Amino acid sequence: MRKVAWGALLLVVIGALVYGVRDRSPATASERARHVGDTIMCPACSGESVTGSQAPVAVAIRRQIADMVRQGRSDEEIRNTLVASYGDRIVLNPPRSGLAGLVWVLPVAALVVALAALALIFRTWRASADGEVTPDDVDAAARARRAEGA
Amino acid sequence: MKRPAVWAAAGIAVVLALLVVVLATRKPATDRVASSPLLGKAAPEVQGATIDGKSFDLADQRGRWVLVNFLASWCGPCQREHDDLIQFADAHAATNDVTVVSVVFQDDLTAVRQFFASRGGDWPVVRDDSGRVAVAWGVPQVPETYLVSPNGRVAVKFIGEVTYDGLERQLDRLRSGA
Repeated sequence: MRKVAWGALLLVVIGALVYGVRDRSPATASERARHVGDTIMCPACSGESVTGSQAPVAVAIRRQIADMVRQGRSDEEIRNTLVASYGDRIVLNPPRSGLAGLVWVLPVAALVVALAALALIFRTWRASADGEVTPDDVDAAARARRAEGA
Repeated sequence: MKRPAVWAAAGIAVVLALLVVVLATRKPATDRVASSPLLGKAAPEVQGATIDGKSFDLADQRGRWVLVNFLASWCGPCQREHDDLIQFADAHAATNDVTVVSVVFQDDLTAVRQFFASRGGDWPVVRDDSGRVAVAWGVPQVPETYLVSPNGRVAVKFIGEVTYDGLERQLDRLRSGA
């Protein structure tokens, strides 16, 4: 029964991961422009994407993104064009290489370490529970059985 | 017991007063030079209709320095720096070694025409209705000003208000190759 529960949990986790990373390509040009805009920082705001900002420059960048989408340029090309003008900091998602790439690696590493630590702790608990049955425990169990029978 | 508290309060009051005096009398930051991924690279396009119906193309200015100024009539620093830009343009009119061009940043054309009519300045003012030019130059807000070298490369980026002295200083530095 316990194995079934663990198996079900594993299935749920894998299902959630697959759902989370599935391809969610925008269907229309305006959706794609919005999707790219979500990844571009408004350079006159603090921590806001151009999609969510009404600053004049955000409006202008949104318009340029829409134009580039209409011209058939890829998301990466659009981002690169904006980086060429504004620098790396215009992109909200940090790069996947270099020192900034640690932002992507560290959470996964922390999760793996945490899971390993949990597994180790559970194993230790189980081992100590198995090995520490004292005569007092046996007597207590016997008394409880007798009390149930009475 | 009361006396230390009084002294502490007096000390804080003096520090605050000094802070207010310093901030109130400080001149606004001008001629701030900033880095840009465009520095040393070919200047992006500035091409299109001007507010008086003519056309302008930055590519036609090869062989002379070009001061590209992004402005809006509603922007306070743009208003403050305008006299210095006029002085700079006038100082180079005779030698014709520097072209000044302004690009309208997210503004109403009537307001910009009014701005130049009342404050002066007879250089080309390029319309940028879609914001394409400003985005290509990486302009986040105005005013922002660039010096483009005679070979068409971006040489200096100023953020915020510029002054006549600051512009001349940078131009001299670039000309001397420092």
